[in-house]
Amino acid sequence: MQLRETGRPMRSIIVLSVVAALLQVGLAPQLSVMGGTLNFMLALCCALALTSDVSSAVYIGFCCGLFFDLTSSGPIGLMALIMTVAGFGLATASRGVMGGLTPESLRLAGIVILLVNLAYGLCLFLMGVQGDLLWALFGHGISSTVLDILLAALFLLVLSGQGPQRTFSSRPRGSRYKLNR
Amino acid sequence: MPRNQRRYPSSHLNTKRQSTGMRPLIVLCVLSIVVLTFYIREGEYGPIHAVRSAVTTITSPVRFAGSLAATPFNALGNVFSNLTASQETLSELKAQNDELTAKVAELSEAQETAERLQELVGLQSTYNLQSTAARIIGGSSDAWSQTVTIDKGSANGMAIGMPVCNAYGVIGQITETSLNTSTVLLITDESSGVSAMSQRSRAQGMLRGQPDGTLRLEYVSVDDDVKTGDIVITSGIGGVFPKGLPIGTVSSVDRSDNDIYYTIVVRMQASTENNEEVLVITSLTDEQRASDDDVAAANDSDDVSADTSVDDADATDSGDDTSDDTSDVDDSTDEE
Repeated sequence: MQLRETGRPMRSIIVLSVVAALLQVGLAPQLSVMGGTLNFMLALCCALALTSDVSSAVYIGFCCGLFFDLTSSGPIGLMALIMTVAGFGLATASRGVMGGLTPESLRLAGIVILLVNLAYGLCLFLMGVQGDLLWALFGHGISSTVLDILLAALFLLVLSGQGPQRTFSSRPRGSRYKLNR
Repeated sequence: MPRNQRRYPSSHLNTKRQSTGMRPLIVLCVLSIVVLTFYIREGEYGPIHAVRSAVTTITSPVRFAGSLAATPFNALGNVFSNLTASQETLSELKAQNDELTAKVAELSEAQETAERLQELVGLQSTYNLQSTAARIIGGSSDAWSQTVTIDKGSANGMAIGMPVCNAYGVIGQITETSLNTSTVLLITDESSGVSAMSQRSRAQGMLRGQPDGTLRLEYVSVDDDVKTGDIVITSGIGGVFPKGLPIGTVSSVDRSDNDIYYTIVVRMQASTENNEEVLVITSLTDEQRASDDDVAAANDSDDVSADTSVDDADATDSGDDTSDDTSDVDDSTDEE
């Protein structure tokens, strides 16, 4: 049984993907905050994977990663590999989670973004592109993670088509009903 | 009984198994690894690099537009950078700022641009550089590499390995080219290496980028004379960078007990702001190459140069991008 709402309008997804791609090429090289840069494709991948089935999320992750590789100066195929796995993991883990900007979806996206950035830094270190492991992981990785989570939240908000959804699942703990004791 | 009837019994229920995504996951992971392997193994003109070059060419109008759009916000990025600077650096910068504010207050942006261009022309004539002017249109898309993109590509005669400098000195070397843009690996990148020397004492070493964005002049023997404030210039060994171009100034010289090399931190003279004009040096004259005496002096500078050459060779082999960046060092070690 499919619990998530996967029927997002295709038009909004296409528009968001095109905008993210343009921003990745045009804006990402221009902005660097505290050693981190914006990865629009990672944020897009997370936002779409949360509202897609597992197979689609895998394809989305691969395409987003490959686009990032082709438009950056890093090794081609590395981010594609990592984001393919990330898309699979996120879509699998988010079964039963409502799409849109909810605390649960944002938490899952944040974890995946952190893991992707750490894995990318680690792989660059192992490939000899980065010489300092700590700097690669925590210097660039953490600052990029913070920026990417903010982007992912924005994309989730756009995909939800409205503000944060208030549903049963959006309440993090406790019950709506109070028991008289 | 046919096989399909065994799998789908006579029922109208949808018994189609929902995809777990394992098959596309495995296929795309293998594909990614294959692409990555080809990228690492192929040369700089291989098919994977060619695809990136084509994508860069196609997306270059967006890069230009992004460069123009982001220019007013560059100051905002400087604010964030300043927030992370140490108190000592900030105090020093504040003092410098007070000193410089009076001088630059009356200059407009147009005048600054004109001055930069004039200095570029001055540099070009002073060092007799055969070069092409270009403009920086963006930085690195990822946080792990220190690169800039310039608005001239292979159609303008740019080629991999060409050194790039601005009015204040060397900034890097071209590592990738597309039709109308080129990627310049900055000398502050970890995989970058430039043969350099102290202008005053002629002590030779190799300038390497550090993870924190600073520069270090390595393999300078403790027998050499290097002081804070010394100007560091290119030595020209290897024939990639012209001899005598300024790189920066020595900001600290440390030596621990039993060390055979100094730990020398160099402050980069040139900045790589967006929209800044740069010169791409297209060819060198004989005078700009290191003479045999310079090479001999570099070899005789310390007794452990053999160790240095081994380290350099290792560094050269450590990554695909590194091979070009340290090509001048390779040449020097070959000569050794």
